[in-house]
Amino acid sequence: MTTARSDIAWCPGCGNFAIRDALEKAIRELPVPRKDIVLTSGIGQAAKMPHYIDVNFFNGLHGRSLPLAVGIKLARPDLTVIAYSGDGCHYGEGGNHFIQTIRRRLDITILVSDNQVYALTKGQTSPTTDPGTVNSLDPEGNRNLPLNPVLLALSMGAPFVARGYAGEKSHLKDLIREAILFRGTSVVDILQPCVSFNRTNTYEWYGDRVYRLRKPRTGLFQAMKTAAVWGDRIPIGVLYRNEEAECRTGKTLYGERITDEDIRNQLGLPCVMMR
Amino acid sequence: MDFSVVIGGEAGQGAFSVELEATEMLAALGYHFFATKNYMSRVRGGHNFHMIRIADHPVHALSGYPWDMIMALDGETERRHRPNLREGGIYLSREMTREIESEARSAFGSVVASNSVLVGFLLSVIGADSDRVANASGEERRELLKRGRSFAERWNFAGHFAIPPRAGTGCRLDGNQALALGAILGGCQFMAGYPMTPATSIMHHFSMAARSAPVHFEQAEDEISAVNMALGASYAGVRAMVATSGGGFALMQEGVSLAGMTETPIVIVLAQRPGPATGLPTRTEQADLNFVVHAGHGEFARIVFAPGSINEAIRLARDSFDLADRFQIPVFLLTDQYFADSVQVVEEALALEPRFREPPAADAAYRRYRLTEDGISPLAFPGLSDSLVRVDSDEHDEEGKITEDLELRTRMVDKRFGRRDLLRNAAVPPTLFGNGEADTLVLCWGSNRLILQEAVERLGGEGIRLAGLHFGQVYPLTAEMIAPHGLKSRRLVSVENNAGGQFAALLKRELGIEVSESVLKYNGECFTVGELCRSLRRIVTGGDR
Ligand SMILES: Cc1ncc(C[n+]2csc(CCOP(=O)(O)OP(=O)(O)O)c2C)c(N)n1
Ligand code: SF4
Ligand SMILES: [Mg+2]
Repeated sequence: MTTARSDIAWCPGCGNFAIRDALEKAIRELPVPRKDIVLTSGIGQAAKMPHYIDVNFFNGLHGRSLPLAVGIKLARPDLTVIAYSGDGCHYGEGGNHFIQTIRRRLDITILVSDNQVYALTKGQTSPTTDPGTVNSLDPEGNRNLPLNPVLLALSMGAPFVARGYAGEKSHLKDLIREAILFRGTSVVDILQPCVSFNRTNTYEWYGDRVYRLRKPRTGLFQAMKTAAVWGDRIPIGVLYRNEEAECRTGKTLYGERITDEDIRNQLGLPCVMMR
Repeated sequence: MDFSVVIGGEAGQGAFSVELEATEMLAALGYHFFATKNYMSRVRGGHNFHMIRIADHPVHALSGYPWDMIMALDGETERRHRPNLREGGIYLSREMTREIESEARSAFGSVVASNSVLVGFLLSVIGADSDRVANASGEERRELLKRGRSFAERWNFAGHFAIPPRAGTGCRLDGNQALALGAILGGCQFMAGYPMTPATSIMHHFSMAARSAPVHFEQAEDEISAVNMALGASYAGVRAMVATSGGGFALMQEGVSLAGMTETPIVIVLAQRPGPATGLPTRTEQADLNFVVHAGHGEFARIVFAPGSINEAIRLARDSFDLADRFQIPVFLLTDQYFADSVQVVEEALALEPRFREPPAADAAYRRYRLTEDGISPLAFPGLSDSLVRVDSDEHDEEGKITEDLELRTRMVDKRFGRRDLLRNAAVPPTLFGNGEADTLVLCWGSNRLILQEAVERLGGEGIRLAGLHFGQVYPLTAEMIAPHGLKSRRLVSVENNAGGQFAALLKRELGIEVSESVLKYNGECFTVGELCRSLRRIVTGGDR
């Protein structure tokens, strides 16, 4: 029951098609049945992704894919949870959730179609838009500094941080699979050409710049140094992979019963006065 | 026999500890009592006061001035409360409490010990049996309580207001404990929240349960996150709730709408405090009724409960989870600071059997939003069968996929919004008290129930015939709910803690019923029985007798 390409609401040539193929293949290669996978997403072009992959999904509100993912993972540690959205969703509207979710150290995979633009709303400045970019709401050019998602993820303590590129499909598939299989919070920022609204960061532009890292950097500071590289050369691949990082697992809730003793304990608690 | 004491002091000085310890002892000794507090939004300094009413019969509200006893832990208590001390009442001045403090310091090595000494003093004033007090207290407090008794004897206050303990050993809960307990009884296993007075202690009690019970509390980065986390947990198959106050609920609104669109069950506690904005963070009000009834963009069904007693709070909190599930809607519990912070003895037996939701079945043909005869689609959770569970905040088809089929859109709205008709049959009827035949019927909702009930009884004793009607469900309001009470042919008075008479307006909008008078209070404090009696007496008799 895969969706026909014609039913997909993306423009022909959009980088999201390749990302979808990579994600679909990665999921196919996982040792996890589809019924145990949940995709959450927010709102945007990227956030439509779950509709084109055959797994469970909760396509929520703009910016909120991460709190949904946290709630699902805590309630059901047995599920494989992937939060999928765009740069506006994950880093703008949901920017605080991005920071705080990494701090929770749950086994969640965060995937981002980073097209450096608000595509669904037709091309406004996003947190990763290049300075000077002109669009409908920035007729004089974007004055803000861009956010570096991989550097931010590293500084928040994400144990697995990678950058992928829609133009390198099989490399991307491996990155996504590795991120999902990694036990802990993994972040993959995926460079995604938007053929309709991003005239700067095109396939050609990336083609000239992107190079593959052969292996993860050793140590956080090396990783941060590489993460900061952006311009003439843009590294893609796993920037950082920390096997030692602790991962928090929620206790089993589903199917567990509250007992009479739990209720007795509850009745014995003292009152509190809290502001 | 009815005895009211106020303990006043600076924040952090121990007045709350005195209240807490006193109510623990009173419960253990089998007294009927009611306790509540009036405190400032600060951690040290200022002036807080704690009020305890002890009687030989059930009491569930503040009686109102005058006080029978005042315990002053600061100078402000004298200025603020002494004018309201009744003739022959006990005034424990700051000099006297200082003496207790210094003796506590020298005898027991700490000023903190004086809290227990004050409790011992109080117990002696009401004539508590010294052996029973000694048995009920722990080893470490026994001597302190005894010391308090000797102060009472030294100053000739022992047994001054003797009250027999008539409650039996009952359970003592505050409103927020009741809500957390009710939620756990209702099978709620997940709560996410961001601290905000007066909802924080619900989170505290839930997180305490999580130490050993199969429940989880997650502190979210903000209320937006909290409600989305809870919706994620609910989608994944675990009953979930959030609790907050008005400002936090403002942030949660998008989540309310998301619950409506995705038909994800959720229970939301809104513990009101005076607004707008930050308002009076630690005081009480009932001004968010309109807000809750209208919260969230778009049209979808909801239920709003406003419990009026501890038992009702436990019951409604518990049942909220069944209803949220059954109708796949958000269910609200609308309370306030007064209810949250009042400690009450529960006289009736509590139904304490925890509920458990049997896992729903799903087969390969499962569609989350299947259009069915009764308008309720089958609920199922991911990973429990081969069928996929897909939900979407966009308008969606039966499978949960985005759609812009506008004919289907209309059918989906009818399904979600049409559920209001099903809610009619599930409505919780209001509670009648007082003289059922009386011409004048006083309406209230939420935490005013037991204050009004006592006021109606007291006025009845004066020969003023009144009936009271309390709405534990404030939305939806249906004709069936009020049918037995003949509202159209009676003089109606409403009692609310807000300036706009929001419930009266809702009643008019929903049922075309008009009240002729309103008693409104919105200075941040609860009503007392005495004050409510004065207002109602004036309305009924046309003057202040
Ligand atoms: C609360 C809220 N604000 C604004 C919008 C409008 N909106 C929808 S998607 C979007 C930006 C999407 O950008 P991004 O996440 O980068 O996704 P893209 O379309 O670029 O893939 C905005 C502003 C919304 N749906 N909800
Ligand atoms: S607008 Fe851009 S991101 Fe959206 S589908 Fe078209 S190309 Fe892709
Ligand atoms: Mg984008």
